[in-house]
Amino acid sequence: MLEPAFEALKTYDWGMDRNVLNPIDEAVVKTRNDAAVRKELESQLLAVLQSNAPRDAKDYVCRQLRTMGTAASVPVLEQLLPNAELSHMARYALERIPEPQAGQALERQLGKLNGQLKIGVISSLGTRGQGVSLLRPLLQDSDEAVARAAAIALGRIASVDADKALGSAKPRPALAVVFADASMSCAEKLLAAGHAKDAKATYQRLLKNNPPELVRQAVERGLKACQTAV
Amino acid sequence: MEKKQSLPAPLKTTRREFIKAAGLASTVLALPTFIPASALGRDGAVAPSERIRVGGIGLGNQGGGDFGGFLGSPDVQYLAVCDVRKNVRDGKKAQVDERYKSKDCAAYNDFRELLARTDIDAVHVATPDHWHALIVTEACRHGKDVFCQKPETLTLREGPLMVEYARRYGRVVSGGSQRVLEDYRGTVDMCWGGKLGRVLSINVQTNNLSHACNLPPEPVPEGFDWEMWLGPAPWAPFNAKRCDGNFSTVENSWRSYWDYSGGEITDWGAHHFGGATFAVDVRELQPQEVIYHVAEGGQRAHLEFVYPNGMKITHCKPGKANMEVDSNESEARAPKPVPGYKGKGSIIGDFLYCVRTREKPFRDIQFAVNTMSLCHLGTIAYRLQRSLKWDAAKLTFPGDAEANRFIDRARRQPWQL
Repeated sequence: MLEPAFEALKTYDWGMDRNVLNPIDEAVVKTRNDAAVRKELESQLLAVLQSNAPRDAKDYVCRQLRTMGTAASVPVLEQLLPNAELSHMARYALERIPEPQAGQALERQLGKLNGQLKIGVISSLGTRGQGVSLLRPLLQDSDEAVARAAAIALGRIASVDADKALGSAKPRPALAVVFADASMSCAEKLLAAGHAKDAKATYQRLLKNNPPELVRQAVERGLKACQTAV
Repeated sequence: MEKKQSLPAPLKTTRREFIKAAGLASTVLALPTFIPASALGRDGAVAPSERIRVGGIGLGNQGGGDFGGFLGSPDVQYLAVCDVRKNVRDGKKAQVDERYKSKDCAAYNDFRELLARTDIDAVHVATPDHWHALIVTEACRHGKDVFCQKPETLTLREGPLMVEYARRYGRVVSGGSQRVLEDYRGTVDMCWGGKLGRVLSINVQTNNLSHACNLPPEPVPEGFDWEMWLGPAPWAPFNAKRCDGNFSTVENSWRSYWDYSGGEITDWGAHHFGGATFAVDVRELQPQEVIYHVAEGGQRAHLEFVYPNGMKITHCKPGKANMEVDSNESEARAPKPVPGYKGKGSIIGDFLYCVRTREKPFRDIQFAVNTMSLCHLGTIAYRLQRSLKWDAAKLTFPGDAEANRFIDRARRQPWQL
């Protein structure tokens, strides 16, 4: 059953019958407890990703690797990150592969990419909760969209280090609210973890910068929550 | 078929009533330092300068129904429309201009331009589901209150972020299922009224999950911003059936397809599970376990959601009807008052009232997110064909690396949540 499905996958493109791939879908679910079969399945999927198969076929493979890809998939997926057509689907898989190699691949590519592809990798690092030291210098990136993405990612990571990175950065005026928003994400996480003093320090730092009214109200709400928590 | 949103009855809250309600309400959100003049009502007719200034994002199908509800409210001054389809936004702009006998309504292709306006108090959002979390969080960051159509979320990770943004910025954020209160009131009254004794479980029925889409490419119609329609979703060629907003979940609408919707389990599930969680009073909770019952004896697989307090919600349990309750009538329960819409009118009226008073709306975003967690957990259990443990506070399936992969999806650059 799998052989015809993989044969069809080699030329799979938009408009073709999706049902021909159902055996692969089913195999991905059913083989979860059989490492050897899974390994073979992953290998077959990666072969398609490295072939001249159509974009739609590679899109399909990345979706399956999101579900069952391992560290073995990472080098092949990493090669797709600079590919404008497939970068997103490579991240679609890499972002959800739990092995650390997936995150390391994203970190490696961060310095090599620019523009939207770089923003995509920044976003995935934020979702995975890693890469603070690499994101930190990007807060001052000459590309405003990159700096914005880095601030949002650090807000998602919301660790003590992420908070410090945001606190020491000087955002250009257009990004002041985004940076403050990310800092508030950090403060909220610190507060939830029982570090009310640290959260309060972050809020007080934000107040010193004479923020816009909406941010000021949010900060005061946060400070009130800190007082309640103490 | 989806019920069309009915026009809300006019709000007749006086300034005195508003102040009284705001002062006494037990579930009041943090009051802003100032309340915009536009959000203060007067006896009877509401002067344009005191109306809630509204914009709409995503205005086809259900969005069109919501648009009518907001535009028809005497409490609303409708300022701007946004849709990635030029013909839709032009049509809605014409309707607004006709109502006010002016040419003032602005029309946007990009929601960020609408949200950047400082003269808009609230927005209603009825885009496809893959856009909801991005727009709602961005709206909160711009100080807008939000009415977001159901299904409010597409992934488990989106929900807590939407709540986080609503609370951080002190925004009123309402989900958009009118059926929770209006369709299931009888079941709710029986459960809350004590007639059924101790409620043990309730069943929800929905049909198909969404699936992959592989429709062939078609030319993009003129005036249709296809890249913006796709937004954070994986790139795919335009096909009219891929992006049609009709209420079907079988092959000819975006509701059918995984990248944009969970299918019927989220589309109807947002209603049914919302009604079920309301009836058995677990709106503030999420389940801690999903038990997957394999298909056997000609019956389809079904699910059992188990709550920390022991309550159970089943999905498609054989022999059970939608919203069928199991209870122990011999264990008496005292009746308790049933919460409802505040103010007067429909769920839109409830939202508008709460925009004025800063109270939490009936389908506060936290309740919506808790409801949607059932839909998403159920989808993951069906896809993996097995049971799951869920830790809502930590947003994780403890020790379950396979299930944790389904908590979120990478968004297409440059979109970032």
